[in-house]
Amino acid sequence: MTQLLLAKETLKTFVGRYEVYLKPFGKFLLALLALIMINSSTGYMERLNNISVVLVVALMGSFLPLNFIILCAAGFVILHLYALSMECALVALILFLILALVYFRFAPKDAVIVLILPMCFYLKIPYVIPICAGLLAAPVSAVSVACGVIVYYMVSYVSGNVSGLSALEAEDMAGRFRYVVDGFLKNKTMIVVMAAFALTVIIVYLIRRLSIDHSWTIAIVAGTIAQMVVLLLGALLMDAEVSTIGIILGSLVSAGIAKVVEFVMFQMDYSRTENVQFEDDEYYYYVKAVPKVVLSKPEKTVKKINAQRKKKKSR
Amino acid sequence: MIHEERVILMTGLQVYEDGDGKRDIAISNYFRGDYLGMQMLKSVIYVTIAAGLFFAGYVFYNLEEFLNNIYQTNWLEYAQTLLTRYLVLVLAYTLITYLVYACRYAKAKKNLKKYYGGLKALNAMYHEES
Repeated sequence: MTQLLLAKETLKTFVGRYEVYLKPFGKFLLALLALIMINSSTGYMERLNNISVVLVVALMGSFLPLNFIILCAAGFVILHLYALSMECALVALILFLILALVYFRFAPKDAVIVLILPMCFYLKIPYVIPICAGLLAAPVSAVSVACGVIVYYMVSYVSGNVSGLSALEAEDMAGRFRYVVDGFLKNKTMIVVMAAFALTVIIVYLIRRLSIDHSWTIAIVAGTIAQMVVLLLGALLMDAEVSTIGIILGSLVSAGIAKVVEFVMFQMDYSRTENVQFEDDEYYYYVKAVPKVVLSKPEKTVKKINAQRKKKKSR
Repeated sequence: MIHEERVILMTGLQVYEDGDGKRDIAISNYFRGDYLGMQMLKSVIYVTIAAGLFFAGYVFYNLEEFLNNIYQTNWLEYAQTLLTRYLVLVLAYTLITYLVYACRYAKAKKNLKKYYGGLKALNAMYHEES
């Protein structure tokens, strides 16, 4: 355990020292992965389905606020869907606008969940997001998680039903619109997943706030079990299509990832390096405040059990 | 000569000023009533746009039904139902806005009180020195 804590401290020091570079790099990576995933799942517009466009946007995203990446991802989805059919783009646009106006006005920082959750769906580990949201955010994040589920199922439904959509007459715009809306809003699996994820966020949050030993670990375990049970029971009761093995394996992997998140984030002494500038009458101050390293590496002492042979002097 | 304690205090204050302080100071520029009123007004505008979008989507979804029943529908009654639902939505949303932003205002004031306390202590350090 001490070794792990030492590794954490080393990591903290490393992050503290190179945060100036790591933060833009992280944002670049997030934007790149998100846009590549969007292009691979809904790459209907050829101009956007181009790595150079993705790289340029990801590079811009690395220096601009996080919401720029979210905005670009939403823009990519709408444009791709527009290339497929205008009705799909309209559904996506209405959905995104309502989410932005009604919910993300209160919790703009939560908008990142709507970006990351569909990405985790593609990686087959969406179960990690509700657990992490419960560990790191407030119970109101249950709404963000539910929004992320809706966005994923909307995009996934459209990309999975291109042939059905093209079979409808191009003139029947209202029919195509209805086809898309019906397809994802009446999806029983989506409703079950939304309910399970929202419940998981609340359960994990409530347990990790309890003043008991190992509350974070208990929260992860309870959240994982609750999530699995609700998903499987819900699927059984509502006759929804889910993969039982996928849920169990995905949940177990997610619990493991959540444990890593707990290890990195649990102790509240985590704080970022701050670079600040100020002045008084006499000086200009350029201060870099680095969080202290709490643990010190133990000194290695080598205990010699056997009497050492004296080296023979070479003549 | 550089006063170590003073630099620590100034750094703490500056970190706050660059982070949450920006938002808190912007909030504290308003009286509570003005701030809450402004946010509630914004909420009414946003929720009206969102409701408009939702209604447009709903009409488009049921376009056939609307066109078929265009002469049979009692539009006055329909508008009344619609208006009532809209008002309930706006009221509920405004109430949530009030609660959320009242909490944020109180929190900002609390943080700023601490910040001004720090500034006072800094001022006292300068006076002591001079």
